[in-house]
Amino acid sequence: MQNVIEIDSLTKNYGKHRGVTDVSFEVGEGDIFGFLGPNGAGKSTTIRSMLGFIRFQAGRIRILGKDICKDKEAILSEIGYMPSESMFYPAMKVKEIIQMAADVRKQDCRREAEKLCERLQVDIDKKISDLSLGNRKKVGIVCAMQHRPKLFVFDEPTSGLDPLMQSEFFKLIQEYVAEGATCMLSTHVLSEIKSYCRNAAIMKEGKLQCVDSVANLTRTNAKRVKLLREGKRESYIYEGDINELLQKLAGYDIEDILIEEPSLDEIFMRFY
Amino acid sequence: MFTIYRHEMREYVKSLFIWALCVGGVGVLCILLFSSMKDSMAGLTESFASMGAFSDAFGMSQLSIATLKGFYATEVGTIHGLGGAMFAAVISANMLSKEEDGHTSEFLFSLPIARAKAVLAKWSAVMSHILLFNLFCVSLYLVGIFVLGEEMDLRGFFLYHGMQLVMQLEIGGICFCLSAFQRKNKLGLALGAVLLFYAYDLMARVIPDLSDYKLFGPFSYANAADLFSTGEIYGEAAALGIAVLAACVGIAHAAYVRKDLAV
Repeated sequence: MQNVIEIDSLTKNYGKHRGVTDVSFEVGEGDIFGFLGPNGAGKSTTIRSMLGFIRFQAGRIRILGKDICKDKEAILSEIGYMPSESMFYPAMKVKEIIQMAADVRKQDCRREAEKLCERLQVDIDKKISDLSLGNRKKVGIVCAMQHRPKLFVFDEPTSGLDPLMQSEFFKLIQEYVAEGATCMLSTHVLSEIKSYCRNAAIMKEGKLQCVDSVANLTRTNAKRVKLLREGKRESYIYEGDINELLQKLAGYDIEDILIEEPSLDEIFMRFY
Repeated sequence: MFTIYRHEMREYVKSLFIWALCVGGVGVLCILLFSSMKDSMAGLTESFASMGAFSDAFGMSQLSIATLKGFYATEVGTIHGLGGAMFAAVISANMLSKEEDGHTSEFLFSLPIARAKAVLAKWSAVMSHILLFNLFCVSLYLVGIFVLGEEMDLRGFFLYHGMQLVMQLEIGGICFCLSAFQRKNKLGLALGAVLLFYAYDLMARVIPDLSDYKLFGPFSYANAADLFSTGEIYGEAAALGIAVLAACVGIAHAAYVRKDLAV
């Protein structure tokens, strides 16, 4: 499998503010790659470096085999990007924004745009200033997908979208990926990572914590233990030998007990 | 690149018409009022011309305001000079910064267009708007002059408007350059700069010690009274203005392509 994204020792320093330090990871062709981390972890800095919005001090970013510092225009022509805010020119109509994005790409995207607008229920005659965040996001999705790029980069794509549209969005992603595209998804919604991503990277305080398959990242021996003893409720995560846990519990006067898998949030929280 | 240029032309078309109608409209109204004011002006010409530095500053010592040429230079010249400079500042001051201010930079610069080309398209839009503004106003003034039926120094007229165009481009270039360094729209700063340039020119004309430094201000080579009375271009100042214009656009380009875009 060929790598679509190759980030090698990326370092970006903002001076007073933390950027990212020595970040390296790869995303293979056809992957839906999750990008996780708390606010300020460096996810946006990494994405903005990948798209050439900011210049970085050290490292190298290669996308689709090209260097972002040398072939930015060529790389961007193969990328569909949707920012978290999805802001457009307020005086323009939706159809004008979609057309403008296609015109800059010098492509006739009318058929694909029409299909996307229909599936996402986008009213193309509305003015941007009249749209809610969710509807602006839908316009952003159309602009990012209409030229059928090889790589999608989405920054918190589902915030503001209703559950029906979230589901439609992921259906579209899976369809494009099935046709050979690759997707990088930065999100705080852990269930999206678990449901749709094959691999994921986790950032913390400007550094890469780990990169692995989602299956490995969510695999854990930890258990959530909830018990009621001496009239008091206790709840904790136990990591260790299950026999030792049972021996320990046997020594208590327990009124009620529940041992279960930790939630997805709890699993990922150990990386945060 | 053409898409960005077309987009910018559309974005500011309302602003263009409002400014052109206001400045051109007031200018043509002044021209049409000349015939009714001509007789009363004749009596005031001498007193207007003998107010020392004040007369020099407004060009009333060089031209008679009882003639259309003098009236045009002092009245319409001031309106068009200030109005045109403000329009140039308004059009160019937000041209680059508005992408970051309006959080549209992520949309625009995620499209496959080099920032250098975007800067060029945006500067071309600034130039086109300034050119269209001047074409509209000059056409209105010419209609006014034709309707009035008075004799007019057309060489001085075109010389003045040619220099005004250069001056507006210089001011546009300066504000465009400021825009490249800003993350927020700074319209007040741009309009303040225009008033500062105007005040600097007035002071340089009133205060003899400052007269040698007059050429540093953009209004120095586009003064209607000077151009109508001498019929000559203030070459040094105009050349300096063009150099400043080229430098500002070059700096804006160099700074913007290297800039870390805020989102």
